[in-house]
Amino acid sequence: MEIREHVISMLVNNRPGVLARVSGVFGRLGYNIESLCVAETISPKVSRITSVSKGDSQFMEKVRKALNRLVDVIEVTELEDTHSVKREMMLIGLSFDEKARAEIGQAVSMFGCSVVSMKDNYCIVQAVGNKMEVETILNYLKPIGVRDVCRSGAIALENK
Amino acid sequence: MERSGAEILLQTLKEAGVEHIFGYPGANTLPVHDCLEESRIRHFLVRHEQAAAHAADGYARATGKIGVCLATSGPGATNLVTGIATAYMDSTPMIALTGQVTTNLLGSDAFQETDIIGITMPITKHSFLLTNENEIAATVREAVHIATTGRPGPVLIDMPRDILAKRTNSEEQHNFEISDSKAALLSDPDRRQLQQIARYLNAAEKPVLIIGGGVKLASAFIEMTNVITKGKIPFVTTMMGIGSVASTNGFNLGFIGTHGNDLANRIVHQSDFILAIGARFSDRSTSVIEEFAPLAKIAQIDVDPTSIGKNIKTDMSVICDIKVALDELITLIDDKERSDWWSRIKNERIQLKKNGSANGCGPAGDLIEQVQEAMPEKTIAVTDVGLNQIWTVRSWKVGIPRGLITSGGMGTMGFSVPAAMGAKIGASDREVVVFTGDGGFFMNIQELATISSYNLPLKIVVFNNGHLGMIRQIQDLFYNSRFRDSCLAGKIDISQISKGFGIPSEKVSVRNAGEGIQRMTGTDGPFILEVLVDEDNYVYPIIPPGRSNMEMIYGRSD
Repeated sequence: MEIREHVISMLVNNRPGVLARVSGVFGRLGYNIESLCVAETISPKVSRITSVSKGDSQFMEKVRKALNRLVDVIEVTELEDTHSVKREMMLIGLSFDEKARAEIGQAVSMFGCSVVSMKDNYCIVQAVGNKMEVETILNYLKPIGVRDVCRSGAIALENK
Repeated sequence: MERSGAEILLQTLKEAGVEHIFGYPGANTLPVHDCLEESRIRHFLVRHEQAAAHAADGYARATGKIGVCLATSGPGATNLVTGIATAYMDSTPMIALTGQVTTNLLGSDAFQETDIIGITMPITKHSFLLTNENEIAATVREAVHIATTGRPGPVLIDMPRDILAKRTNSEEQHNFEISDSKAALLSDPDRRQLQQIARYLNAAEKPVLIIGGGVKLASAFIEMTNVITKGKIPFVTTMMGIGSVASTNGFNLGFIGTHGNDLANRIVHQSDFILAIGARFSDRSTSVIEEFAPLAKIAQIDVDPTSIGKNIKTDMSVICDIKVALDELITLIDDKERSDWWSRIKNERIQLKKNGSANGCGPAGDLIEQVQEAMPEKTIAVTDVGLNQIWTVRSWKVGIPRGLITSGGMGTMGFSVPAAMGAKIGASDREVVVFTGDGGFFMNIQELATISSYNLPLKIVVFNNGHLGMIRQIQDLFYNSRFRDSCLAGKIDISQISKGFGIPSEKVSVRNAGEGIQRMTGTDGPFILEVLVDEDNYVYPIIPPGRSNMEMIYGRSD
């Protein structure tokens, strides 16, 4: 059975307890949520949840049905690579010594990311891109001394 | 006008048509109990919260109206859980009102605090925590809307005591056009899909309809009968579908599944086209899904999109209110004789009869038929769970809408007596008879006190075989007759128990019950008829676990 990554975009009512109901669906069906992003949409009454999970061929059907059964779920869409734009933000905390300072500057300009905080020998690099891009940057910076990483998880929009 | 939260709650429920509430008070629901009398909603005091939930469920099943139960926070709320789950599995429109600790104490492990919304999340259609007294009216209206539209189900409202007690004269509106728009889609069927279904149905040589509980929930009794009669289409039901069309309808082949009728299972297996209406192909109906109706194209009509293709792959489907869809379908189907198919079915029926197949319930089934003959035509039968349930659903002829009430999906023992109380209160013009066993009877026996104190004229038939009969049958057949933990016999005297509750009773043998039945039906108030049944009065045929619907067995193989 083919296991692959599924990106789901949901519109839900912006109310207390909704996320618990939505995430409960994944857990009850035995699927893990690899990343999750929730925020208000253009309407303050509606939030968009973007989730990424790995699942088999039944995954989408099962999850879609269970999600649609929730009163607070307005719309469920699976976003395929070919029809959507996906982005992720990554904050990378780096400890470095003086020798590496130039190397960081070079990497930042090469990858088009930015340094958003700098204090003594610790800086935070902000990277935005698709999953492969941000992971490439992370891998490049690893030898310099990555101490912390925070990833937003995917956000995505269908290009209609 | 200034009103308390509790007053707003009850007045809004009253406006929504609620006339009865089943409940049990506690400190955190006292603001509600305190103004129940003025609200002109009648409250029935049960003896255990589980019974309040089952009574609300039975009330809804008997009337088609929403059932309401009320319990306090903590143990009161958790005692509702089995009843809520029962309602959820059979899609009963229900509101469960639970008391909660005051908002400042939420999350502090306060006395009788429990996260009932968290506990019931997977067994409610939706739930609300009241956080503001000004939102109560809108929340109640939304809860009623959610519980009763689309595929119905239980909705829980958790009510902190301070919100119930606060007084206010303003009322904020919060709108729910979102769930409204979801429901609106359901009253407009996809015509192309419906035409396709009709085309297949008209062209099929061996079509069968599978009628599920959804037909009852949609109150589509007449529409369903019209479709069957016009197309002369043989139909089977699921257990929940029994009574969606009169059992005596000539096109009825019985019900399918583990404990179903052999004719129904065999004809479905041979069919080339199945149209399921309000049925989800549950494991109890299909046994081994891979071997279910191997030759048939499958079509489905359901109001619930999540029930389409949930358990079986469907070739075509319509998501719509069943009443509306059937009303359109009838104009699309041909008036056909289907004589080849019917003669094949007739032969099969004769063959099965020759092999000794009857309703397979032995003397217990005969007794149920006797009771039905002695009761008025419009009597509602309520079953418990176990052999008594299968005996009843096979033997009781449901001639009227909502004439049979049984816990199908959840299979909740102890359901019958409290559900019958609710049914009787909701449908006071109809007689209500309970068929239960000595297992289920004792699971909510405290409710005899409720029956006694309100003098509810329920006729309760308790089949006493000293065992958990269905468990015993399974042990007998599949566990080499090792009857572990399924014997209930002891020095228990049901007549003394009945006497203690002030309810007349009589003990009869299953083969000689005529006079006892007469005395039961001749009694004005409640009556308990204890019927002694042989412990091996099993139900046959039955499908062994892991076998297909074609592998029904008629007795022990040795």
